[in-house]
Amino acid sequence: MTVQREQLEADVLIVGAGPAGLSCALHLANLIKKHNESGAKPELSTENIYVLEKGREIGAHQLSGAIMNPKALAELVPDFEKSAPLDTPVRDSAAILLTERSSFRFPLTPPPFQNQGNYVVSLNKIVKWLGALVEDAGVNVFKEFGGAQLVYENSAVAGVITEDKGLDKNGKPKDNYTPGYELRAKVTVLAEGTRGSLTKKLVAEKKLDNINPQSYGIGIKELWDVQPGRIEPGYVAHTLGWPVSTDMYGGGWIYGLANNRVSIGLVLALEYADPRFDPHAAFQKWKTHPFLRKLLDGGKLVRYGAKSLPYGGWYAMPRNTVDGALIIGDSGSFLDSQRLKGIHLAMKSGMLAAETIYQALKTGDASAKTLGGFQSRVEQSYIRDEMWKVRNFHQSFQHGMFRGFIHTAFQQITGGRGLIDPMRAEEGYKHNKKIDATKRSLNATERFKGDGKLTFDRLTDVYHSGTRHDEDQPCHLHVLDTNICITRCVEEYGNPCQYFCPAAVYEMAREVDRSAGAGETERLRLKINFANCVHCKTCDIADPYQIIDWVVPEGGGGPNYEGM
Amino acid sequence: MKILVITEQRQAKWNNTSFETLAAAQQIASALSGTVSAVVVGKSVDALANELAGKNIAEVLQIEHELLESYTPDGFCVALKQVIESAKPQLVLFPHTYQVRDFAPKLAAMLGKGMIGDCVGYRLEGGRLVFVRQMFQGKTAADVTFLGDGPWFASFQSGSFRADQVAASEGGAKPVKRVTVELKAEQIRTKPLELFKEAKSAVDLTQAPLIVAVGRGIKAPENIPQAEAVAKAMGAEIAASRPICDEGWLPMERQIGSSGQTVAPKLYLALGISGAIQHVVGMKGARTIVAINKDQNAPIFEIADYGVVGDIFEIMPALAEELQKAK
Amino acid sequence: MKIIVCIKQVPAKDAPLAITGNWIKESDIGFEMNEPDSFALEEALRLKEKHGGEVVALSMGPERVKQTIKEALAKGADRGIHIADDQFAQLDPLGAANALAAAVKNENADLILTGLQSDDQGFGQTGVLLAALLDRPHATIIMAIEASEGKLKLKRELEAGWFQWIECPLPAVLSIQSGINKVRYATLKGIMAAKKKEIAALTRESLGVKSEPTQKVEKIYVPVKTKKTEFLTGTPKEVAAKLVEKLKFEARVI
Repeated sequence: MTVQREQLEADVLIVGAGPAGLSCALHLANLIKKHNESGAKPELSTENIYVLEKGREIGAHQLSGAIMNPKALAELVPDFEKSAPLDTPVRDSAAILLTERSSFRFPLTPPPFQNQGNYVVSLNKIVKWLGALVEDAGVNVFKEFGGAQLVYENSAVAGVITEDKGLDKNGKPKDNYTPGYELRAKVTVLAEGTRGSLTKKLVAEKKLDNINPQSYGIGIKELWDVQPGRIEPGYVAHTLGWPVSTDMYGGGWIYGLANNRVSIGLVLALEYADPRFDPHAAFQKWKTHPFLRKLLDGGKLVRYGAKSLPYGGWYAMPRNTVDGALIIGDSGSFLDSQRLKGIHLAMKSGMLAAETIYQALKTGDASAKTLGGFQSRVEQSYIRDEMWKVRNFHQSFQHGMFRGFIHTAFQQITGGRGLIDPMRAEEGYKHNKKIDATKRSLNATERFKGDGKLTFDRLTDVYHSGTRHDEDQPCHLHVLDTNICITRCVEEYGNPCQYFCPAAVYEMAREVDRSAGAGETERLRLKINFANCVHCKTCDIADPYQIIDWVVPEGGGGPNYEGM
Repeated sequence: MKILVITEQRQAKWNNTSFETLAAAQQIASALSGTVSAVVVGKSVDALANELAGKNIAEVLQIEHELLESYTPDGFCVALKQVIESAKPQLVLFPHTYQVRDFAPKLAAMLGKGMIGDCVGYRLEGGRLVFVRQMFQGKTAADVTFLGDGPWFASFQSGSFRADQVAASEGGAKPVKRVTVELKAEQIRTKPLELFKEAKSAVDLTQAPLIVAVGRGIKAPENIPQAEAVAKAMGAEIAASRPICDEGWLPMERQIGSSGQTVAPKLYLALGISGAIQHVVGMKGARTIVAINKDQNAPIFEIADYGVVGDIFEIMPALAEELQKAK
Repeated sequence: MKIIVCIKQVPAKDAPLAITGNWIKESDIGFEMNEPDSFALEEALRLKEKHGGEVVALSMGPERVKQTIKEALAKGADRGIHIADDQFAQLDPLGAANALAAAVKNENADLILTGLQSDDQGFGQTGVLLAALLDRPHATIIMAIEASEGKLKLKRELEAGWFQWIECPLPAVLSIQSGINKVRYATLKGIMAAKKKEIAALTRESLGVKSEPTQKVEKIYVPVKTKKTEFLTGTPKEVAAKLVEKLKFEARVI
C-alpha cells in the first residue's frame, strides 16, 4: 500500500533523546540563542530543532550503571552542581576479585577503576533533567516517536520517516491508523544509542565501517533498596573473577547511591564461545556470592534492565559523517572501552556535533564538507585523548583474560600502542562455537528459576523493567528466515536467542505436529514475545546468522527505567 | 443506629445483590444494636414489598409513584431525598450496581453528605464503622471512615456479602409502610427509552463474578473446550494468561494480567497457569483462588486458597461433571 | 459545542507502589493520563470534529499534572485548566468535585465529560457529583452519543448485556464507558501546537472553594492472605468432588 505521509521540515533532526542527543540539542540551542542575540543573520530558531524519542517520556529507555565523569556536563551546564540530579560523589573506589566463596579487595585500586571526582548517578534522572532544559530552550522533543527509516535525496541523508502507528499485529490499519511522518532536515543526527537501528543501516549503505567491526557487551542491571548500614553512598566497587570464567571478558559492579539504594550489575562481552551461555543466569548467580548476599539480604528489588554497550573503541568507530548526517554517542561508539565510560564522551560528541551543525546552519552548507568539521573537532578534543590511549584495549581480551592482561600492560606503558597496533578483531558472534548436536537444547522454561528473593527468573525481572508494548502491533523483531532456526540453528548453535536475550523474548516452542501423515511428531517453532523487549539490541548483535533485525516498535513501547 | 437499605428492582424482578446488602445491613445492625429498614422503589411493587417483609428487619418502606416506574437519576434522587429526610437514618446502604453508581453519589451530595462506594466489606473498631474498599485496581485495600454526622452513604460490591445469609423474620411479616413522595414530571430531565439486549462486542471480565483461566498448561487450542466445559458448568467466564492470547487461542479481551485485564472476582480457577508475576498482578485481588498445576513449585500456589498438584487433563472433565451434579 | 473533559493524572499502571500511610510515595514513579479519561477525551474530540466548538481539558493536582493536560492539548483539546493542589490525593470525592465545579461554573459548557473512574483511587463519583453541584442532568456508562438540536440521545450500558437509550437535554454531564472508541495518537503538529495553547492556572483558594471532607482514607495496605493454601489430594474424581464441596460450603462462591 502506498502511504501518504505528512511532510514536515526542520533545520536539525536528532534521533534519540539520550545524553548525546540532548547535549547536541541543548548546546545548539545555546549557540543559536547567542547568535540571535548578537543580531547575526540569518536568524535561527531553536524551534526548528526536532528531537525524536521512542520512549514514553524522556529517560524511559536510559540505563547505565552509572559513574559519570562530570567534565562534559560542566561545559554544557556550568552550574550543573546546583541543579543536576547528581545523587552522590564517588567516595571509595574498590576493585574486588571474587572466587566462588571469597572476595579479595585489591590494596591499590588499579587506575582504570579509580573514580575520584566522578559521581554515582542515575542516567535516567540526568537525562530527564537535561530534557527539561532542552524543552525550556524551545526545542521540540517528540516523545513516543521513533526513527523507522532514513530518507535519502541524491544519496545524501535528507531526514527520517517515523514509525507507522495503529497497525494491528498483521500489519493492517486499525481505526486510529496514523502513518509515520516524513521529517526532512538540513542535518540529521543519529543519536540512537547502542546498535542504533538507523545507524546500522546507514553504516551498511554508506560503508562507514572502520578497520575493526564493532564489539559489544551486554550489561544487566538491578536496582535495589537495601537495609541501612550495608553500603555507604558513594561506594563504588568493580568485581572481577567469579562467576566469569577466564576465557570470557566481563565483570560486575556495585554502586552505592543515596538512601540505601544500590545499583548492581554484570557486564559481559558478547564474544563468548558457548552459544548457550546465559548472561542473565550468570548475573543471578553472581548475586549469590557471599559478598553480594550480605549486601542484598533483606533488601528489595526495585527495577531491572539490560542494555548492550559498544566497546570496540577507536578502531571500531564508524565514520561518523556523511552528506546530511552525523552519528554521535553510543551509535558512534563514543565510549572508553577500558573504563566503560561513555556518558561524558556521548555528551561531548553531542556538543561538538552542535558546533559543527551551527556552522552548517550559518553557511547553509550541510554537505560532508562542512559536517566533516565534526571529526576534526573530535580529534582535537579530549575524546581522542581518552580513546586513543585505550584504542586496543578491548581487542586485547579476545583470547582470554590472561593474554588480555599482558597486552594491556604493554599498552599502559606505550600510550596505547602495546605489542600490536592496531589489534584486529572479528565480530563477536563469530566466536560462537558449534555445539555437539547430539545434546538437546534445554527447554527455555526449564531454565533458571531463582528463589524469588535474591535471585529471579527472567520473567519476574522483566516485570520489574516496566516494559510494555501494545500487543496488537506488528512484531518489531524481524527474523529474516525462521526456517534457519528450526533446521540449522537448532543443530549448530542450539538456538542461542533463548539464552542471550535478557527479557525472555525468544522461545523455541515445542509443538506436536499432527499435520504430517505419519503420526505425531514434535517440532520446534520460534515464538517471539516481543512485548517483553527491553530494547537492549543484544539479539541484533549476537545472533550467529545475523538474521535478526531490530526495528523501532510503535512509539511509547519499551521499558520504563525510572531511577536507572 | 438506623440503617436504610435501598433495594433495586427492574420490571418487578430483583437485582439480587440487593439481598447481599440486606445481609450486610443485618450484620451491622446486630453488632451496633441498630435497626434495618428496607426500601423498595417503583410502581406496583406490592409483591416485592411483601417479600422484603418476610425478612428479619424493622420495616419495609414502599415508595410508589408513577414516575418511579422506570429508573431515572432525577426521579430517584428527588424521591429518595424526601424518604431520607423523613426516615432520618444514620446509614444508607446500596448494592454497588450500575444504577447505584448513576444516582447514589448525587443523592448524598444533595443532602450535603459523602458516599463511600464499592466497598468490599466493613470492620468495627471500637464501635466505629470502618469501610474497606479497593484501590489501584485491587492491588491495595483502603480503610475509609466517615467524618461528620450522618446520614452516611455506602455501597457494597457485588459478592462481598452473601444474599443467602439474609435472616428471615421470626414471627410473621414485618410492617410495610407506604411512603408518599412528591415528584413532578418536569423534575425529571432525562427520558429513558427502550431497553434492549445486545451481544456485547467486548467481554468485560472485570464484571464476571466467576472466572476460569487457562495458561500454558493447556498446551493446545483443541484442549480449551475442556476448560470451557468447566466454566459453563460453573457459570463462569473463560479467561487466559498472555501466552494463550498471544497465540490467538483465545481473543485478547480474555487476557488477564499486567498487559490485559485486572480482575477481582469471587472465584478464580487457574488451570495450568504457573503464576508469573505478570499474570498474578491481574488476579490476586480475587476472593478465592484455586490453582491446578502439575508443578508443585509453581508460584501460583503461593497465592492460592486451594491447590491441586495434578494433571489438568484428568481433573477438568471430573470437575465439569461434579459441577453439573452440584447445580 | 463547548465540551469540558475532566482528566485525571494517575500513577503509571505498572508503577511499583510504595505505600506510606494512606497514599503512596510519588517520587520515582511515572504518571500518565487515567485510561478511562482518555476515552472521554477522544469522545469529546470526535464530537468537536462533528459539531464544531471547543474542547477544554481540566485537571487537578500538583504541577506534574500539567504534563497530562499538555497531552490532551497535543491530541486536539483547545485549552487547558489546571487547578493546582499538591494535596489533591487527599481530597474526598465531594471535595474534588467542588473544586472542579467551581472551575467550570462560569464556562457554561454544553457538555462535561468524565471517564468512569480513576485507575488509582477508583471512587467513580466525579461525574455524578459534578452534575449534582452544577444541577445538570447526567448519565453514566455511556457507550454512544448522538447530538442534535440542543439535546442528546445516549446509549447507556446496564448489567448482563442490557443497554438503554436515553434522551437527555443539554447542558449535561456524562461519564463515558471505557473502550467506546479507539483513542487517537497525538500528531507532531498537535504536539507543537500544544506548546502555544493556554493552560489557565487556578487554585482552590482562588476559586474560593472550601469544603469539609466527608470521609477519610485512614490507610491503604496490601491485603494479606491470612489463609494457607489448602492442597487437595486423591484421584481426579476425588479431588474434583472435594473441590466442589469446598467451593460450595467452605468458600461459598458457587
